[in-house]
Amino acid sequence: MKSVLRNKKAIALFVLPSFILYTIFVIVPIGCTCIYALYSGTPGLNWKFVGLANCRKLLMDPKVKMAFIFTMKYVGMILFGQVGLGLLLALMFRFWIKRFNNLVRTITFFPIVLPLIAVGQLFRKIFEIQPNYGLFNSILANIGLTEYVEAWLGRPQTALICLVVMGLWNSIGFYAVIIYGGLLDISNDIIEAAQIDGARPIQLFKSILFPLLRPIIITCVVFSFTGSIKVFESIVALTKGGPGEATVSLAKLMYDTAFEAGNYGYGSAISMVIFVVCILGAYVIRRFDSKEV
Amino acid sequence: MKKRTLKVLALGMAMTMTALAMGSTAVLAEEAAIDTSSEKNFKILAIWPEDSAEGKILIGLTEQYIAEVNPNFSYEYEYVPSADVIAKVSTLVASNDLPDLFAYAYGQPIMDLIAADKLVNVSKELETLGCTEYINEGAKASLLSLSNAEELYCLPYGMNIEGFWYNKKIFEEAGAEVPGTWDELMAVCDQFVEKGIQPIAVGGADRWPATRLVSAYAYRTMGADAVKKASYGEMRFDDEGFVTAASMIADMAEKKYFGEGSVTVDNTTAESMLLNGQCAMLYDGSWFTSSITNEELNPDGEENIGFMGVPVVDESVSAATELPTNCGNPFVLSADKYDAATAGWLQYYMTNVGNYAMSGFQSLRGYTYTTEPDELSPIVKEVVDNINSATSSTAWWEAYMDTETKVTAMNNIQLVLSGDMDGAGYCASIQETYDLNH
Repeated sequence: MKSVLRNKKAIALFVLPSFILYTIFVIVPIGCTCIYALYSGTPGLNWKFVGLANCRKLLMDPKVKMAFIFTMKYVGMILFGQVGLGLLLALMFRFWIKRFNNLVRTITFFPIVLPLIAVGQLFRKIFEIQPNYGLFNSILANIGLTEYVEAWLGRPQTALICLVVMGLWNSIGFYAVIIYGGLLDISNDIIEAAQIDGARPIQLFKSILFPLLRPIIITCVVFSFTGSIKVFESIVALTKGGPGEATVSLAKLMYDTAFEAGNYGYGSAISMVIFVVCILGAYVIRRFDSKEV
Repeated sequence: MKKRTLKVLALGMAMTMTALAMGSTAVLAEEAAIDTSSEKNFKILAIWPEDSAEGKILIGLTEQYIAEVNPNFSYEYEYVPSADVIAKVSTLVASNDLPDLFAYAYGQPIMDLIAADKLVNVSKELETLGCTEYINEGAKASLLSLSNAEELYCLPYGMNIEGFWYNKKIFEEAGAEVPGTWDELMAVCDQFVEKGIQPIAVGGADRWPATRLVSAYAYRTMGADAVKKASYGEMRFDDEGFVTAASMIADMAEKKYFGEGSVTVDNTTAESMLLNGQCAMLYDGSWFTSSITNEELNPDGEENIGFMGVPVVDESVSAATELPTNCGNPFVLSADKYDAATAGWLQYYMTNVGNYAMSGFQSLRGYTYTTEPDELSPIVKEVVDNINSATSSTAWWEAYMDTETKVTAMNNIQLVLSGDMDGAGYCASIQETYDLNH
């Protein structure tokens, strides 16, 4: 094996095909986007070189600032929700739910297979207020909490929460099942030994389960971060970016700028912001991963 | 002498032959401008589904052309939702593959295509084809204004008026009079609110129904060209008149004239609310008549719905007969794809579309017509009468705005409806975006 790995031709044979594919499908598009960011307008129509003007505009544009803040809030809430609640559900599957375990896991997992557009329509109906109350407002009204009946999707403060609730409902089963798989890999002997030594549930989790689940949790954090930083479909399905521009994410702003407003250059500049945020996020997660190893 | 005579004769003959040849070339060229026999696969990109009235008119007329005139002509009809048409066309432009005929958007998008020589100069072509008289004059003026051009580069595909529609039964039950002025409108709304009836339904989720209300008040108080002037930098969007108009809508929202959470209601739901007696009034365009005349959508029948235009604020600024109009989304022809076979189709289309749409679909498309349908529905007749009696027209709020300013104007109106932004803030946000892009 060592001799194979010292052979440069063998290394090239292993690495080159994937490197070529990676270059074609990842590096070249990123390079093109960098170049596009130096232009304004639509290719073939009013495409002109503007240098760093798009970067300057990025710094001044209040829409970019709003979209960035919204995206960060969304990522933060979704990340903690997906991983935290996913972990909680996995612990429930492993230790508390003894009967109908498979059924409960299936029910928790099934929303992941539903298309987001359909889920968006479902949640629009749940949060509806006009012409008739949706499920949520009906419950509030029927239990005497009429003063809390609200246009949940129509207020900037609550629309974000609705998006997060929808995002969690749709994806939490996925994270629960992954973490549950990690929990099954932990030997019962270790858990029983800790219990015999007098470890309480919190101590058991803190000192035994969490350290052993760490690689799985880091994987979930990576999945959750990369999935939520590019949030787009759920916004289109549920709020269309509204009210106003309160739920416009960086990805939605990039789409609107490039494809709706026909400014591909500035849209590319916005996508570079997403790219930089992704790199920074990956760096932070990597540091968290390697810190206590 | 003989030689000279021969030379003169030869020269004369040569000149005659050249003239004849040139003449025949000219004739050939003229004939080649319209070709009604050669093969052509005509690609149409439309924003109307094939089973909609608009789709049926376009497809039906093209199939009639194939059956009656050119059997070698074929077509491909591609539907794209109107919200995606700009994105679709910009992608096709980038790959230099525009379809022969496509629906597009007014304002900056069409102006960009005109500037890049991507569109056929319709004025010139119609003159060549002898079809200039088939476009309705009002539609023509509107198209020229909305594309900011001196010549036509697009064809109309609609002739709509906009205003308030009302539910007669609700008005009768509440003992309310149809308002003629804006003050009366406000008084009637108060009357409905007191009786627990939602006065107006607004499809705030779709945004445009709400911006139309700002526009309606603005043109009634500032004149028909105020929005155009602001869009071209001759006025500012944060001028007092616009702020007053936006504040009026904010005030109406605060008084619950639009009910709770109008930001979350789409226009189809708002239309349904009017037809089913869940609100008293609705601002909409005359395309709404297709729902009014549909018995499934309107169980109380079309006689229960009336049209009242936009209430007047100051008759000296904007008279009652001045109505917001539009020609639907425009149709444009790709300059690269335009040829003699397309000219043949265009001539047939221009000659027949007005009558075809009116007789078969009771629909005004912005073209002249000579036939009358056997039984014109009362509500459609009311719309046609209003269009015919309109003395002047005005465009809508975002009609002349560049795309980014338009997006701000449409998005932030939701904050006005939800009470998170006041009229002044709304107008300032539009002006800020405008300044950033000019």
